[in-house]
Amino acid sequence: MAGSDWNPWRRFLALPNDSRTKTVIMAFLVSAFCAVLVSGATVVLRPIQKANRAAEEQARIEALVRGIPGMATLLEQSGGTLSTVVIDLDRGRAAKDVTSDTLAAALADQGNWTPLAAETDLAGLGHRPNFAQVFLLRNGEEISLALLPLTGSGYGGRIDAILALGGDMNTVHGVAVTGHSETPGLGGRIDEASWQAGFSGTEIRDASGEVRFAVARGRSTSVHEVDGITGATRTGNGFTRMVRFWLGPLGYGPLIDAIGRGEF
Amino acid sequence: MAERIDFWSTLTAPLIRQNPVTLQILGICSALAVTTSLATALTMSVSLTVVLTLSAGIISVIRRHIPDTIRLIVQIVIVASLVIVISEVLKAYFAEISRALSVYVGLITTNCLVLGRTEAYARHHAPLPAIVDAFGNGLGYSLVLIVIGACRELFGKGELFGLQVLPLAEAGGWFTPLSLMLLAPSAFFLLGGLVWAIRSVRPEQAEAPEHIPPARAEPAE
Amino acid sequence: MTGAWSLFLFAAFVDNMPLTLFLGLCTFLALSKRPASAIGLGVAMTGVLGVTVPLNHLIYSGLLAPGAWTWAGYPELDLSYLTLIAFIGVIAATVQLLEMLLDRFFPAVHAAFGVFLPLLTVQCAILAGSLFMVERSYTLAQSVVYGLGSGVGFAVAVVMLGAIRTRLAYADLPAGLRGLGIAFVLAGLMSLGFASFTQMAAAQ
Repeated sequence: MAGSDWNPWRRFLALPNDSRTKTVIMAFLVSAFCAVLVSGATVVLRPIQKANRAAEEQARIEALVRGIPGMATLLEQSGGTLSTVVIDLDRGRAAKDVTSDTLAAALADQGNWTPLAAETDLAGLGHRPNFAQVFLLRNGEEISLALLPLTGSGYGGRIDAILALGGDMNTVHGVAVTGHSETPGLGGRIDEASWQAGFSGTEIRDASGEVRFAVARGRSTSVHEVDGITGATRTGNGFTRMVRFWLGPLGYGPLIDAIGRGEF
Repeated sequence: MAERIDFWSTLTAPLIRQNPVTLQILGICSALAVTTSLATALTMSVSLTVVLTLSAGIISVIRRHIPDTIRLIVQIVIVASLVIVISEVLKAYFAEISRALSVYVGLITTNCLVLGRTEAYARHHAPLPAIVDAFGNGLGYSLVLIVIGACRELFGKGELFGLQVLPLAEAGGWFTPLSLMLLAPSAFFLLGGLVWAIRSVRPEQAEAPEHIPPARAEPAE
Repeated sequence: MTGAWSLFLFAAFVDNMPLTLFLGLCTFLALSKRPASAIGLGVAMTGVLGVTVPLNHLIYSGLLAPGAWTWAGYPELDLSYLTLIAFIGVIAATVQLLEMLLDRFFPAVHAAFGVFLPLLTVQCAILAGSLFMVERSYTLAQSVVYGLGSGVGFAVAVVMLGAIRTRLAYADLPAGLRGLGIAFVLAGLMSLGFASFTQMAAAQ
């Protein structure tokens, strides 16, 4: 507490406590001390906090995707780091003002939905959100896996699914169904791992670039088809239309083109 | 030698005899909000004790030179700065717990206990006794928090520090958790019970009755 | 309008400051012995919260939030770590100002409620109102509604507790429970009752 360089202060300290000079200088000294303390601590600790936040974000995305059955093994096979980005569907680019935190709020605004005309509305949605959150698995600079959420109308109601496309944006590596209201035992079998396993290796487009994906009526007859479910033709058709819509120009088409051009 | 004994009683008095929460009614707010689990209760206790001790020390050092007009705001600013530092440290090294505590770490700034002790004790005593007193009060506060936190986590989830101590019925054990323990009212009841227990053991802490009934001469009817 | 009303109800009853969030308990318990002081505290709380939460919103979004200094050419400047000090300074100044204004222009009101104002400078509930406003990213309008709602909720709770405790003056309580002990038990029972309001949270 005492020190040789306090001599110049003795005059100041000897002032009566309620003198104006002392009040002002005391206030200034306390503020300066606290400012140094607070700013110093923040500057020193900020890099550590940033690293923590990044690690948490990573863990949260991985937990989210791992929660979807089938995706966990897919992730392990492909390897790399997982990241999430909100896409502006029309432009095929990362959305400028919307992040994964603000996505729900943005989609609550009807202005962020595009109405669909009957001929183009393959999936029976009526309108389509302008933003979607996709997950990309990267191996260095290259994208090794893209997880694209899909939604469409099936036989009994909405079907929600996530499609895992490989780096060529053409080969399906897997699918997960996250919600549906199909008939149990029939259309409801889209839930089953055995049916979903048939997606692996299916190609979406043919050599000319046309979308050829389909859920077949019986056994699949080409590399673009997956086996159908007996007694669940309508569900299968709904699924087909859903995938075709979302991988077409009104869905993730622009995004797929952008990835193909290396913009991601 | 006499000084030594003084320090000891200054340190231990706030544990039961002069406990800040149960007798002085200070620092209750955060005492209840963060006690759903022992980990958060302990983090809060340590944070508050550190802030209390350091602020008592700093304010005691400058006590002779604080102008009266800005007395309160000077104390508040010093406490707030220490709280910011602690909060940043928690966010850096204990990110999950920091999020569970959310705004309650920031509320240490206005914790009546911190300001109460600096106003009542640190401003009038030398740094060392002030620090000892502050540390003692911090310990007293921590004691209450840890007891309540342990009760709530143990009976609410069957866990302590996240480790399953009482086997849950749904996992094949015998313990059905009391979900009420995880809700707000349980903290009030537990604290009330704790106060009752302490005041039954030490009747000198009980409050005087507000209304003395007149001596019964005859039954009313 | 529905949004504002449901936020008001949410702030007043679902997220009730003393009974659900354990905020402001020191003054809640200390000033609930008589209904008169309880009402005074409630009114003062509502007034101060209604003023400080929007004021702090302006200061936070204008000066402290990440990106607030974009207009001056410093978009990465993030001063949010100064939030605590800034808020407490604003609250202390507001309380002081309110007291002076009341004393000058509404002396009758000042005589009734002014004595509670200095207490509120260091009330956790007032600071918490502003901190929650930041945490939940309320807009200015929402801040006003939230501030007033929290104040009203606090007032309702403290007046109820004051009324019950006055009647308890005649009760024959065990010595250990008298005063603080029974106040806690009462607060717990009220808190249990208010927990039923969480159903209203569905509207939020």
